[in-house]
Amino acid sequence: MIARAKSKWPYLVATPLLVFLILIPFDWFLGQYTSLMIFIGIHTMVTVGLCLLLGYTGQVSLGQAAFYGTGAYISAILSKTYGVDPWLAMAIAATATGAFAYVIGYPIFRLKGNYLAMATLGLGIIMYILFNQLGQFTGGPDGMSGIPYLSVGGFAFDTAFKRYFLVWFFCLAVLLVSQNIVRSRAGRALRAIHGSEAAAESIGVNVDQFKVKILVLSAVYASLAGSLFAHHMTHVSPSSFDFIASVKVVVMAVIGGLASVWGAIFGAASTRILSDELLLTFGEWDIVAYGAILMLVMIFLPQGLFVGLKNLFQQLRLRYQRRGAEA
Amino acid sequence: MSEPILETRGLSKAFGGLVALDKVDLAIEEGKISAIIGPNGAGKTTLFNLITGVYPASSGEIRFRGKPLNNTPAYKRAALGIVRTFQNILLFGNMTVLENVMSGRHPRSRYGFLEAALRLPKAHREEESISLNAMKYLNLVGLGAYAEQNALSLPLGQQKLLAIARAMATEPQLLLLDEPGSGLNILEKRELSDLIRRIQEIGTTVLLVEHDMPLVMGLAEWVIVLDSGQKIAEDTAAQIQKDQRVISAYLGEEVE
Repeated sequence: MIARAKSKWPYLVATPLLVFLILIPFDWFLGQYTSLMIFIGIHTMVTVGLCLLLGYTGQVSLGQAAFYGTGAYISAILSKTYGVDPWLAMAIAATATGAFAYVIGYPIFRLKGNYLAMATLGLGIIMYILFNQLGQFTGGPDGMSGIPYLSVGGFAFDTAFKRYFLVWFFCLAVLLVSQNIVRSRAGRALRAIHGSEAAAESIGVNVDQFKVKILVLSAVYASLAGSLFAHHMTHVSPSSFDFIASVKVVVMAVIGGLASVWGAIFGAASTRILSDELLLTFGEWDIVAYGAILMLVMIFLPQGLFVGLKNLFQQLRLRYQRRGAEA
Repeated sequence: MSEPILETRGLSKAFGGLVALDKVDLAIEEGKISAIIGPNGAGKTTLFNLITGVYPASSGEIRFRGKPLNNTPAYKRAALGIVRTFQNILLFGNMTVLENVMSGRHPRSRYGFLEAALRLPKAHREEESISLNAMKYLNLVGLGAYAEQNALSLPLGQQKLLAIARAMATEPQLLLLDEPGSGLNILEKRELSDLIRRIQEIGTTVLLVEHDMPLVMGLAEWVIVLDSGQKIAEDTAAQIQKDQRVISAYLGEEVE
């Protein structure tokens, strides 16, 4: 048995970050960013799903907004129109979206590469059209309002402050679950598929089944995120789930680092902060600045922000240690 | 002779009009090292692909320990005990050396997404035995010292050994090696021969496709010769070198 070096660095980094995360929504700290942080949490959940699918398994999806929107709409319709308890609505939405992903998974994964990208792109567009056209259920292009908040007993998540903790609870749970999967037998099977499908099959990996399973998992993540979004905004409309929304998920995954679970937070955060805060100063030119930043990241940090910064941090640490040894 | 571990009867494969393999009968004896030789395009790799289920046979039968194999999907054949390596190695470049071998434990472990996601004790237990066994097979090929390196950072010769370790980690009963010696220098080939003999000692039956004649003749106890998709001869290594059909298949007929 080889001794795996158990580094204390992850804890040293994670603990202050967690404290920071808990303190953010308080008014005396960064309370004005609570709403922004809720969106970052929601987007992180969708992005992690794509990281598993694209970064680890090597299967592209340009239609994650389809699952995100399906979750949001099922939650919205069940809880508002039919008076179902929001938690139950959320669970039904996740189950239904997962089942949907399972059903389309086997035919869609007969395709590879660019063709898979086109098929998932088509899926996203079809769902967007359905959200618009099924007016009697979805409210059409105007969407639906008055979606109830989630609540536990008599405690309703009726302020952004409360929902912040709700969303980040789910977000961190999804991240932890994903990290556990990545480091497991299943995670190795997924990476094996990415490495070489022929070799993966030769050592007994059921390639088709694993692809479908990871698609289902990513769909469930997106659906949960969609439900949280619906019960947070109390309003949903199709424009949140269009083609651009799917592309943004890809951008977040790429910027954060495709093959890193925790990178999803950085990808979602930097993308969201850029588009909501910093780039507004560029006015109409924001999309140009956005593109330029994406190019810079791809050129200088091709593995994404998370891995890039981690490597930088390790280099600095080594240099610091070396200097300490010389002195 | 006892029942062969692998048997084919009338095995054929046609790609459109091209007959790559033509009614091949084989019987691979358990515990031995057998080799398939033949000029380029003889159908050697096609035969491997049929045995491992990469594509279905056009006609004929494959039996593994007497049980028909034709309708068994490729990924299930590893669990049955048939595992191969590839001419072009096909390591997982997105993993470390050790992780490559650990992935070979896939058919010998069970736990899935749920146990992994929740870090249940079963996952922990199995994971421990996976890395323990992986290390065992990594040491078998002598790459234990490189466990934490990226798989593709190894030189070609060691990459080939790693591919064998990954295959051995599945605990195969029949190991198929597709040109294990190609690209290796004399020293590496000698190490490879030693490794294949050690694998035989573990009790694994070995079937290899190889172009390097000294390697084959020094190693194989039984040699099967394919030419243009047909089996033209099979015999012991010593006998096959004298076989007139084999010589003419390799060197061409003498013109009178």
